[in-house]
Amino acid sequence: MNIKQIAKTAGVSVATVSRVMNHPETVAPATKEKIEKVMQEAGYTPNWFAQGLNFNTTKTIGLVIPHMLNPSYMEIANGVEEVARMRGYITFMCNVQKDVQTEREYISQLINRRVDGIILMFSSMEREYMKRIQKEKIPLVFIGEHKSMPKISSVQVDCRAGAAEMIAHLIEVGHRSIGFLQGHDPEQECLQQLTGYRNLLKANGIRADEQLIVKTENSIEGGYIGVKRLMAAGRPDAVYATSDEIAYGAMDALKDSGLSIPQDIAVVGFGDDRMSNLIEPKLTTVELPLRKMGIYGARILFDMISGEAKEERQIILRTRMRIRKSCGHKERIGEMF
Amino acid sequence: MLRTNFLGLELKNPVIVAAGPWNRDGVRLRESIAAGAGAVVTESIVSDTMLDVGPRIACDDKGAQNIRLYSDIQIEGWEREMKIAKSDGGIVIASISAHSPSELAYLASKLEKFGADAIELSVSNPMLESLEVVASHADVIYEMTKAVSEAIHIPLIVKLSQNTTNISKVAKAVREAGGSGVSAINTVRGILDVDLEEARPTLSTYGGISGDYIRPMALSSVATIAQTVDIPISGIGGISSARHALEFLMLGASTVQIGTAVMMQGKHVVSQIVKDMDAWVVSHGISRIDEIRGRALENLKSFDEMRYEPFVSTVTGVPCKENCSRCVETCMYGAITKAGNTVHVDRTSCTGCGLCTSICPEKKLSLEL
Ligand SMILES: Cc1cc2nc3c(=O)[nH]c(=O)nc-3n(C[C@H](O)[C@H](O)[C@H](O)COP(=O)(O)O)c2cc1C
Repeated sequence: MNIKQIAKTAGVSVATVSRVMNHPETVAPATKEKIEKVMQEAGYTPNWFAQGLNFNTTKTIGLVIPHMLNPSYMEIANGVEEVARMRGYITFMCNVQKDVQTEREYISQLINRRVDGIILMFSSMEREYMKRIQKEKIPLVFIGEHKSMPKISSVQVDCRAGAAEMIAHLIEVGHRSIGFLQGHDPEQECLQQLTGYRNLLKANGIRADEQLIVKTENSIEGGYIGVKRLMAAGRPDAVYATSDEIAYGAMDALKDSGLSIPQDIAVVGFGDDRMSNLIEPKLTTVELPLRKMGIYGARILFDMISGEAKEERQIILRTRMRIRKSCGHKERIGEMF
Repeated sequence: MLRTNFLGLELKNPVIVAAGPWNRDGVRLRESIAAGAGAVVTESIVSDTMLDVGPRIACDDKGAQNIRLYSDIQIEGWEREMKIAKSDGGIVIASISAHSPSELAYLASKLEKFGADAIELSVSNPMLESLEVVASHADVIYEMTKAVSEAIHIPLIVKLSQNTTNISKVAKAVREAGGSGVSAINTVRGILDVDLEEARPTLSTYGGISGDYIRPMALSSVATIAQTVDIPISGIGGISSARHALEFLMLGASTVQIGTAVMMQGKHVVSQIVKDMDAWVVSHGISRIDEIRGRALENLKSFDEMRYEPFVSTVTGVPCKENCSRCVETCMYGAITKAGNTVHVDRTSCTGCGLCTSICPEKKLSLEL
């Protein structure tokens, strides 16, 4: 069966069938279902590769992911995929295992396979290489900040504001000496958080004690070791961790050394990982809009693919505080009630 | 006669169906238009749809409480819904809600492209966000309004909340940031009631109260904005009759919006309100509804301007055959007595508080200078 026969059998116009294939979101669900049923029964599959030659589209996009085992990245990918599916697109997901060479290879493979656009998640690609891809005129969107190319289309989260809001909360509930456990990660969120931390301390007339800023690996183990170093360097009343994982490790170490959270010391994290609401005491943390990063990444990519976007566009998302027990305030000021 | 121009939009009447699930998709928006509304507002469209909690709506005969209700259709789907909504030529205002200015700007520009006639920023919901409603911070509202107004060419309305200490400041921020108008008010944070046997509030978390409960607050919000900021206002809150709608207009609103009444009685309330407004206008010899806008504001003074005049009841003997002595029982100054069929007001004890004039079911008592 060809598209004309599908249209005839379904009792709709060829244009409607074509819309089901190209812009399914513009077709009423009932009509779409009916047409899809006819297509399915007839075993009709559009020849995308042929279409790529004819219409310059393959209905595919590429999504380059730093590491597939990280649930946060998967949450973002989920948002990308959902929008792509709504637009009738397939998403190629490429797992670069945090390796620059693999990332390059994947990107050129995606271009060779004529994807309509590419989303790069927390990419550390150098500027020269990026410029080269841009010459290919293939729509490109970054999820996460790209330091050397701030003007490129991207979705970012204002982590500095998120950290500042949390520090302000800690100060408001009475903590003056706040330790900072800074993880290494490719997302550069940590640096922004550190800026937020410094700004807020300054605004409140608290001198940032460099001994209370400890760099550590971005993992549970990193948190465990990091907080021990922090406690040896000083004795803060609160610990701010740049990720929930670090906070879990820190809590573990603090409990091991006989301290109770939050009575003796407060701990807060960053990310709102699923576990943060399950451990005891429940972790006060900053929620990252992960799925929304994916959704907006795909949205601006499709605006570029469709030619609707006239210029590069940056979407800045905001975090939200999740105040739970681990930060140790009794009065629950500002809680999500 | 009810025609009016609101923010450059030609409305056949000033009655708008407010944002809410009764306007959750194209078909329902079209129904609201068909009921005779001058314009309709979509349920708030967000960046990403959320799982609905349930139960999430409760009501009694004076109003309702709802928790977290946003559109469950993604922005992508609104291209189709807008087309359906506008297929009969009605005026459709798209309501949007989000956490950051750039998200709002994105959603607004999409909806403009899909055919929305105006955008309403709904950043005043008392639920979900936290204790502090976004719309209580003039600086945040400024930032959001500015981002959206720069992204679109259609009118921009910002929906304000009663949950703020100074609504005029927020309205002023809207105007300075390029907003075309404000609507007031969104629901007010509250708890409808508690089941005593179960020791349990009817809905499991704090919610937004709407309906009769909030009309007095809404009227005062509208009047306050009208008296302090030069910006067109859409009045919302507990409107279920033409009389209520006219009250809002007289206190300075250019249009009104109806939510809970539509939810609890059905869309025909809209046609009834429009019909009754029309009849009122005709019976009062008014040629354009705009003539009554703000008329009652002259009689709404600030506390400082009030005159300390010794109002007392001039009536000493009120004939009253009713089997009722509420005026006697409630007079806090002990000024009222009743003997047989006559109510007596003692002019020296009466301080002119006015309570008896509204408490009397027959409205037999009155105050004069
Ligand atoms: C069930 C329900 C859902 C609502 N959903 C929205 C919404 O999505 N966006 C919004 O701005 N206001 C929403 N509102 C608020 C109404 O638009 C309106 O501002 C408020 O209810 C006061 O008016 P009313 O007393 O006529 O209902 C909702 C109200 C109710 C009762």
